[in-house]
Parts: sequence; C-alpha cells; structure tokens
Amino acid sequence: MRAPLLVLSMLTASVVAAACTENLDGGAACPSLCPEQSEQFRDTTFEAVVLDSSLGGYPALGIASNLLLANRPDTLVTRTIMRFDVLTSSYFANGTGALDSITTVDSVYLKLPLDTTGRRGTSPVTLEAYDVDTTASDTVPAVLRSLFRPDRLIGSITVTPSATGDTLRVPLSKTALQAKIAARSRLRVGLRLTGNAGQLRLRAFTFGISASTLEYDAATDTTYRPIVVTAQTTLPGAPADVNQAYTTYTLTDVGSPLPGANTLVVGGYPAYRTYLRFNVPLRITDSSTIVRAELLLTQQRSRFGNANDTVAVYPLVPSATAEVTDLRRAIDLAAEGTLLSVDTTRFVPSDSGQKALNVLSLTRSWRAQPASVPRALALRIALEGAQPAELRFFSRTAAPALRPKLRITFLPKSEFVLP
Amino acid sequence: MSRSKLQPTSARRTPLRLSPMLAACALLIAAVPADGAAQGSLGALGFGYPVNGMSTRSAGTAGAFGDIDPLSPINPASIGGTRSTVLSAQAEPEHRTLTFGNVREKTSSQRIPLLSMIFPARGGVAVGVSARGFLDRSYTTTTTGSAIIDGNTLPTSERLSMRGAIGDIRTAIGWQIGNRARVGLGGHIFTGENTAVRERTFADTLQFGSTLDSSRVTYFGTALSLGGEVRLFKGLSAAGSYRSGNSFEARIRDTTRASGSVPARLGGVLRYDGIPGSTFAAGFEQVKWSDMQGMASSRTTASDAFNYYGGAEVAGPRMRGVPVLIRAGYARNELPFSTSASRITETRLSGGVGLPIARESASIDFSIQRANRALAGSTTKESAWLLGVGIQIRP
Repeated sequence: MRAPLLVLSMLTASVVAAACTENLDGGAACPSLCPEQSEQFRDTTFEAVVLDSSLGGYPALGIASNLLLANRPDTLVTRTIMRFDVLTSSYFANGTGALDSITTVDSVYLKLPLDTTGRRGTSPVTLEAYDVDTTASDTVPAVLRSLFRPDRLIGSITVTPSATGDTLRVPLSKTALQAKIAARSRLRVGLRLTGNAGQLRLRAFTFGISASTLEYDAATDTTYRPIVVTAQTTLPGAPADVNQAYTTYTLTDVGSPLPGANTLVVGGYPAYRTYLRFNVPLRITDSSTIVRAELLLTQQRSRFGNANDTVAVYPLVPSATAEVTDLRRAIDLAAEGTLLSVDTTRFVPSDSGQKALNVLSLTRSWRAQPASVPRALALRIALEGAQPAELRFFSRTAAPALRPKLRITFLPKSEFVLP
Repeated sequence: MSRSKLQPTSARRTPLRLSPMLAACALLIAAVPADGAAQGSLGALGFGYPVNGMSTRSAGTAGAFGDIDPLSPINPASIGGTRSTVLSAQAEPEHRTLTFGNVREKTSSQRIPLLSMIFPARGGVAVGVSARGFLDRSYTTTTTGSAIIDGNTLPTSERLSMRGAIGDIRTAIGWQIGNRARVGLGGHIFTGENTAVRERTFADTLQFGSTLDSSRVTYFGTALSLGGEVRLFKGLSAAGSYRSGNSFEARIRDTTRASGSVPARLGGVLRYDGIPGSTFAAGFEQVKWSDMQGMASSRTTASDAFNYYGGAEVAGPRMRGVPVLIRAGYARNELPFSTSASRITETRLSGGVGLPIARESASIDFSIQRANRALAGSTTKESAWLLGVGIQIRP
C-alpha cells in the first residue's frame, strides 16, 4: 500500500518540478542592471589589395551561352562563325521505305534563336551569311575574315533589330547547300551585320548543344518534315572542349580598348575579369567579427559600348590554394560568389568616383578557409561576352587616393563573460 | 534531554527497499535541468544569485534551520549521529517579477539546488556527500541600442544569453559526541562555469552582418568548513559553523584571468526544541563575498552580506501514524553583488510542510517562499515566488 502512494507522491513532485517552463528572457532593466558592456565597433579603411590583375579573353570559346553579333563601327564590330561539319545527306523517300540520297534541297534556312534583351538598333540592318569553309588554317581570324567576300555570300536577310522576334530565319542558298551535300562536304557559315548600326544577341548553346540550327527539306515535296542539323565540328586530335569551342564562336573586328596602365577592367569585348588578392590582418579576420566589409573601388568613366546602361558585376571566389599561381587558372577554379552569399553589384559604366562592393560574406568566410588559400576575389560582368559594356577601376598602382581599399567594420573578440 | 534531541527529525527513519519505479522517479527529478534566474534583475547580478543550496526543510524555515539540518550542507556537524542512510534530491523553480519604473518583467527558472547523501558509520560518525548550487547565473537579456559607425548612429538589437552556475561539492564528516555535542569537518570544491553568448544585429541587414560571440569561464576553488553543535540546557542548543575559503580562480581557456577567494562564512543558530514535536531556530550568517571582488571587473561590486533568520517547525496532524510537519520562517538577507555601492536587500517569508510518504522510510517536503528584493536608493524592486519540493529516502 505504501509503495503506490510513495510513487504517486514522487511523480507529483517530479511533475511540479518539471512543469514550470523556463523563461529567462529579460532586459527591461538594462542597461542599469546589465553590467556587461559591449565592445565598441571599430572601423578601418586600408589598402588591403596586394595583387590585382585584369585578364582578358573571356568567356572562353564554347562556354558563353550567348554571342553578340554587332555592327557598331565606332564601338563594336563582330562576326560569328558556325560550323556544320556533318550534313544529313540521305532521307527516307515517301512510300518507298528506302533510304535515298539527297540530291536536291528546298527551304534552306539558318535558324538563329535570339535573346531579345540584347537587340539594339532601330534602323534596318542586313545579316549576311558567307561560306567560310576553307582548306587553309580555319581557326585563324584573319583567314576567316578574308572569306567574307561577295563570291561566298550564300544568304542574307534585312531586319530591324528592335523589331525582331525571338528567332531569326536566315534563308541560305539551296544551290550552295546542295553542292555541299553532294560533295559530302561541310558547311561553315560566317555571319555579319552590314548597313546601319545594330546588334543582335544570339543564343549560342543550350545545355552544351549549339542553339543555332540549319534546316532544309530533302525534296521539293512540301510534305517532308525539314531536316534539322545542329552545328558541330571536329578538329583533328582535339579534345571535346576544343571541338565545342569552335562549333559556334565570334570574331571581334572592333572591340573595347585595352585596360591601360593603373587600370582594372571588368567586362568589355572581348571581356576581362579582374582578380584581387587581399592581405587582411588576422586580428580582423580571425579574432574579430566583421559586421561590414566593402571593397572600395574608384571607377573611371568608360565610353565603350552601352556606357549608360546599368550592368551587373558578379563576384567569383577563388578557392584554389597558392600552389595555383596561374591567375587565369585560379579564376577558372573559382566558385560563384552567390554560393558564399556575395551579392551582385550594379554599376553604370559611364559613371566615375568611388564605388563600394559588399564583400561581407566573403571576408567572413576567410576565417574558415585554410591558410594556403589566398584571400581573393574576382569580378566578372554579367552577360560576359554578350554585351558591349565595360567597367574600369583604378588599380593598386594608381595614386594612393585612387587605389582599391577595404573598408571593414568589426567587433574585436572579447572575453565578456566575467561580470 | 534525550539523545535523540540532537537528531534532526528527518534523519530518524527505518530502512526501505527501493523499487525500480521509485528509482526511476528519483532520476526524473534529478534530470530536471538546473538553470538559473534572469539577469537584468536584482537577484542575479555579478556572479549570480546565491542559491545557498539548502534543503526544502530549511527553505521552509527561510534558512533558519540551515546550520542544524543535516541535509543542508552548511554545518558539517549537523550530520553527526545520523543513524540511517539518507538520499535527498530537490527542485526549486523560481518565478520573478521585476518592477522597473512602469515596466514589469516576469521570468521563471528551474533549479536543482541540492543533491545529498549521508552514510552513517559507527560511534555516531556519519559521512555526507553533497552537491549544491552556490551561485546561479543564468539569464537572457534582449536590449536595443545603437552603434556609431562612420559617424552614423545605427540601431542595433542585442541578445545576451548567459548560462551556468557555480556549485559547491562537499564531503563532510560529522561526529556526535555523547548526547550533548556534535562536531564536523567538511572539504569543499567550488566549481562550475558560465557561458555567455552575445548576438548583436543591425536593423540594416543588407549592409551589416550580425555578430555572434561567445565567451566561457570556468571556476575552481576550495574551502574547508568546520562546525559544532552543543546542547546548552534542556531544549536549547547552539550551533555554529565557519567556512574558510582558499583560492578561487576564474579561468578562460586554461588561463587564469582573475582570482579571489572562496568567500568565508560564519553562521550561528540557537535552537529550541523543548516543546515536543516542535523546533524553533533563530540565527545569523555572515558571508564575506568581498573575497570574490578580485574575480570581478570594476562594473561589479561584491559586498559582505549579513543575513538573519528565524523559523519554526511544528508537528501537525498525523498522516498514516506519522505527524505532518508544518514550517514557517522569516529572513532578511543581503545579496552579494551589485552594479554600484548600493546594496540589494531581500526579505523572505516562507512556509512548508513535510509529509511522510512511506512512514519513516521516505518523506517529501514542500516549501514556498516569497522574496522581496530592493536596491537601495532606487525604485527598482523585485519579488519572487520560490517553490521547493524535496524528497528524502532512507533505504
């Protein structure tokens, strides 16, 4: 009899003891009754950049998802090369069930998907297509440029860039294609804009496959579904990425100016990326909590391309160790800044003066990085290689007032636990 | 006066076999997390609130029985003459209301202020092992403020979470000498830790990141205590104890950052149990908290405390043949830590009952205390209800 009563009593005691939900939240009487004092935030601006460089030639061929076809003689002139090294040369004739060779073609078009946000120009321009196939060195720009001549013109279309839809169908010569098919040859098309100034942004690749296609009918019979050929090429002994690079690519006749002395460039055409390496005292990165970090860059006015359009700059976070001394390689191995919550910053190329990039997340991540990984940041422009815009900043070799700096606000670690 | 007059009521029991469920319940009680009171309050400034780790029986008398109660590990002499093994555990939630101007703020906390065991030996000798709360420093404050950055004042919000406590682990030996006196000696280890986590956020979360910082300190100190109790004449006895503190260190990451001494303590009580079934006690206590000043920063003032108390325990109605014990007490205490030279005083009114739950083999005690605290020279006041429940098992 006594044991159940004992257990019941103890359970009661347990419930009483455990039932009270703890609520320790207070603070109404602070600071009068809260003797712990916070450390004061410290603010410092210093020349933390120990290495900076702008590297051109971006994006690598075959990487860009868009290509810019432009005819803006005062700014940017480009040509585009598309390689159709394998042409479909046979088809199933209606009713026979047998595979026949293609001897005649009809409705030959080069289908070009467009990014309509990149079109520019309100006057009609002519898009010309040339046969740029050659037995000469076919990767040399000068050779290719020489093939853009009237006797090789195989098609054209006149459009007003601002009025184009999301796809452009360029009619090509049936005779030329017919001859290529008959000769078991290849078709390499060079595109350029002539006439008035204008630009089109072409979609280059979709999931690694050329977005532009060659379409033609295998016979004049309109009941046939068009044959669709995707651009592709094979260079002797070349790896897949090189083949990809030369499938669809751009030649630049007139591009952005070189960076010049004391200058860092982000964007341009061909595009540049800028690499910055920092040296920040450990007392800030490791022994403090950084609450604000900004990269202060002094912008130079740019007159190239769409100088008055707002452009975005994406951060890249190099994560390779110092053993990777090739900066281009280090940038190639960099992680997208968004993975570290380093946000995009927008600039106007024609603007000038001191600009700030929020690098708070980046500087906070340095504490967790191995010492062998340089504290660095790389910048690339949005739509790299597909928009004529560049940002110019003074480098660390410029006058002291113009050099890149880090502005960091931090809270030193303190042992505040003792009352 | 019989020999038993020097025996505390709670220690006179016959053996009991522990059932598995009983053991499970005891564990359940012991498993309740021991946390403390809220800062931004009068009771938990400095190194924390002096829990004192008394038994629920002593709490029911506002601490007046502290020097004579064997379950309260204060006077090592009090365990002398214990004739059966005693296991004890208790919980003591506290509900506080701080009044600061027109603002009232309520907090609540849980505590396990005491776990103790007493093992009898031959010749009136008993050995006791106990762990009790000494200073409890657990609170969370959320405040708004500002930070000046680049000459601009930016609104911030700060949340400080402090957790931890200092405990007193004592091993004591008590000896009852004849039927007129008891003496005892105790060795104490004072150890514990405080962990502070501070988060500060800015209203502008796009440009400014929050800070999350932590800091941890561990404490270690030792002390010796000795005590005695002597029967002066029939029904009246006097007890006293003294604790001598040794070095007390605050360590942060293996480095001693501050040091002081475990506060010395002197206490005494007069006990009258000339009326059968009743015990009356009145006493005092002086704790030299200033011994810890060296461990604190200039923001904290540690002042010596003089505490006075009186209480009674009387036998009430019988339950299952054993009387229910009814307790009451009053105390006036001084709290040790403040942010200024002004003292914080505390008065306590208490009551409690002791219920036999297995005849003499186990009992459960309940206490309730009403504490009122005030900071001298300030309108800030604090009141608290402290509910205690303790169980003693004599297997």
